[in-house]
Amino acid sequence: MFNSIRSFCMLQQLNFLIKNHFLHILVLREFCLWEVRNLERTIYIRMRNRVQTRPNKTIYLKDAAQIIADERLLPKLQQMIIHQLTEKEGNIVIIDVMKVIQIITSQFADLEVQTIGPAQTIIEVAAKKKGVSIPFFLLIWFLLFFGSALTLMNFHDDVSMRSVQEKIYTIITGKKDAKPLLFQIPYSIGLGLGMILFFNHVFKKRINDEPSPLEVEMFNYQMDLDNYVIINENKESMKRINDD
Amino acid sequence: MTIKVIMIVFLGLASGLSVGAGFVAFLTVMGIIPRLTQLTKTMKMIHSYEWSVVIGALAGVASSLRDPALNISPLFLIPLGLTGGIFVGMLAAGLTEALNVFPILAKRIRLDGEIVILIMAIVFGKIFGSIFQWLYFVHR
Repeated sequence: MFNSIRSFCMLQQLNFLIKNHFLHILVLREFCLWEVRNLERTIYIRMRNRVQTRPNKTIYLKDAAQIIADERLLPKLQQMIIHQLTEKEGNIVIIDVMKVIQIITSQFADLEVQTIGPAQTIIEVAAKKKGVSIPFFLLIWFLLFFGSALTLMNFHDDVSMRSVQEKIYTIITGKKDAKPLLFQIPYSIGLGLGMILFFNHVFKKRINDEPSPLEVEMFNYQMDLDNYVIINENKESMKRINDD
Repeated sequence: MTIKVIMIVFLGLASGLSVGAGFVAFLTVMGIIPRLTQLTKTMKMIHSYEWSVVIGALAGVASSLRDPALNISPLFLIPLGLTGGIFVGMLAAGLTEALNVFPILAKRIRLDGEIVILIMAIVFGKIFGSIFQWLYFVHR
């Protein structure tokens, strides 16, 4: 008797719990639906850093930016024309995110645009890719070759490398020799090895995965150029207010 | 007399201090030691590398101010020459890099991808110049 009352109570409690839980799920579901309905009005765009293209092309939004949007909106957004390249614009065009937002909101007034990442895209217009001319290249190669050879000879003369090497020879062997080649030949090979080590390359093959200082330097130089172009080619980024 | 000795000692200390500081500053700017630790993944040993530079510099001082003679086989010159060469080569590479020559040059002649070829021109140029100097040039 007592036992059955107790089990009934437990059942009731369980029932209540389940109901409560169900209600909770319902509320949660409602909330989720509300979220979804709200989300599909928001699109996320991230401008690409740099786009390379051919002259007189039409730039679509998908070329200049990464887009996250509702599936029904996405194709329309991707095919949106944001810029038409012309001859007289030169080979670098900056597309500001403000312009993109303006174009999007002019067609879809109720969309909320969230931007992430860079505030502009650099469009680089390259005519047909030119190959490197071989004579020109050979000229530069030999310029560097003989230039560095002569520079090194001047450096050795400047720091009296010869007398130092002869002295090292005397210290080690106790004899005098005007031509300590046993020191000088390994030294010369080591010189080249040291440069290769520093730049982390043995004929295109890397010693390890880290970028070499030169690649970092190239990257920094490109970033500086990009920054300059972003400020100077973008008409909206500078404004002069005349006070007269 | 005492004052003179004190003056000389002071001058010697001062010049040694400035030369030593200058040497270390130069090494730091060239970034050779970080580069080597990065290549060999031995960042933790950096303090022993510092000491190796200091002791090496002192050994150089001792052997250039005195005239010691070790009277050992000339074959010891080979590792000495090789390591010395690598060090000078890294110094030269560091200097080239600090002066920002390559990025501008590669950009100008549109060789961004093939910059290794330009480095090789300089590397071979240096080896050629050095060997030419020691084999031929100094004896004319």
